[in-house]
Amino acid sequence: MKRLQTDAVLLSLIEHMESKGSWCGETHIQKTCYLLEELFEDQLGLEFIFYKHGPYSFDLSDELTAMRADNIIKLRTKVQFYGPSLLPAENSQLIKNTYPKTIKKFEPIVKFISENFSSYGVPTLEKISTALYVTRKEDTDGSVGDRSMAIHKLNPHVTVEEARKTVKSIDLIIENAKGISFSTT
Amino acid sequence: MAALFHDTGHLPFSHAAERELLPDDWNHEMLTAEIIRSDEMIKIWNDLKIQTEDVVKLAIGKRYCKDCNFTDWEAILSEIIVGDALGVDRMDYLLRDSHHTGVAYGKFDHHRLIETMRILPKSYNDGSKEPALGVEDGGLHAVESMLLARYFMYTQLYFHRVRRIYDIHLKEFLKKWLQNGFFPTDVENHLQTTDNEVLAGLFKVVRDQTHPGHEYAERIVTRNHFRLLYDRKQEDISKNLEAPKAIYNELCKKFGEKNVRYDTDKQRGGDSDFPVYLNSNRRIVSSLSISDVLPKIPIAAIDFIYINSNCRSTATKWLNANRERIIKPSTEE
Repeated sequence: MKRLQTDAVLLSLIEHMESKGSWCGETHIQKTCYLLEELFEDQLGLEFIFYKHGPYSFDLSDELTAMRADNIIKLRTKVQFYGPSLLPAENSQLIKNTYPKTIKKFEPIVKFISENFSSYGVPTLEKISTALYVTRKEDTDGSVGDRSMAIHKLNPHVTVEEARKTVKSIDLIIENAKGISFSTT
Repeated sequence: MAALFHDTGHLPFSHAAERELLPDDWNHEMLTAEIIRSDEMIKIWNDLKIQTEDVVKLAIGKRYCKDCNFTDWEAILSEIIVGDALGVDRMDYLLRDSHHTGVAYGKFDHHRLIETMRILPKSYNDGSKEPALGVEDGGLHAVESMLLARYFMYTQLYFHRVRRIYDIHLKEFLKKWLQNGFFPTDVENHLQTTDNEVLAGLFKVVRDQTHPGHEYAERIVTRNHFRLLYDRKQEDISKNLEAPKAIYNELCKKFGEKNVRYDTDKQRGGDSDFPVYLNSNRRIVSSLSISDVLPKIPIAAIDFIYINSNCRSTATKWLNANRERIIKPSTEE
């Protein structure tokens, strides 16, 4: 996928999240983008690693900065305690006009992500994305208990009971995501 | 130790052409890690009772030490060295490059900045917190000054059009001069390949007209570099986000690939969001919410197209006549 096609999908994700009332700070976009990548087979080709608070992509951080340089997105600030939010900027319409097919193709996936995760704050997104990371990447026996322990080990501030609830909800999300596919129209 | 070793993996002439002149999946941070893990250094770490992997972790950070687990404390220590907003590596290279090049834009009050740096809880919207590197409000102007200095150093020095074309010609020369076209990645040979070796090789090749790198070496030594024909214009970008690439492709068709060079780059790293401690009311807020300067600092970006000086005049006329046609926006098929 070309860099600007990736940007078109990222912009679409930001717009959908915002339209559902989500704050679009970089951390929100990091976590939801990870969920999109992991649930739908690395479509954007962004490399994620496990950092202090769950999956994180330095590539994505650079790409969001590049999108600001191209005036596709901008920062909204002046809201204390939140940090900045990312918003569509002047050239956002241009990229939508240039890549309408890519945006259309990804629409069901982006909608799925925004509908399922836009109401959550950073700590919940951190737990959910960590649960998915553990389910897909960590060496566990696959049981709820084993994965919950793995989450607690990676993030000791998440209790085993909280981890258990999150693992159950990510299993449901994985099942629901199986029914979602790219738009072919 | 990690701070001292952070830059030891740099190639001759630093970042110039690092991506193209190291084998796939290598970068200078990996060379830094190799040096720290070398037998010679391990003896020293053992004598100092320092764990080798702790030095690697802090010296190159999580971005390049992907499989390492970082505790909160280690993440902060690493951020002090390699961090995007307040890392000492950045403070060091801006001041050092400013001093050695005579570009005064890179200077800022680093004493004030270091004095006011604090480890502070970074807050999220639900009230949860994590430790992060920040400053007291008295140091905010010093940080603003450093981040402005970075922007100016990018636009005036790191992304300067003449400096960049010399990087391109140097890369072309090195590709022909280095064995197999790559820098060595074993520690011993890496440490023996310095700027001096490259410069000596360059002058030798200038005298040898049969060497495949002769043309590029000569361009550098005689200052006969390719000339800037086009640089990124916001006006063009707002019509077509790929305008520079489209112009480059058309110029290649018209004047031949060997006479045209394209250079594109953007500043990397995230935004400048870090916690600031307000002494007056003992609150901690986001830097971007209280600074009038930080959110307005632009992101440095370049798209340069260079042309062989032999065709410069014709190419200029041709581009003026065809630019609007070339940058006409297209929609994906």
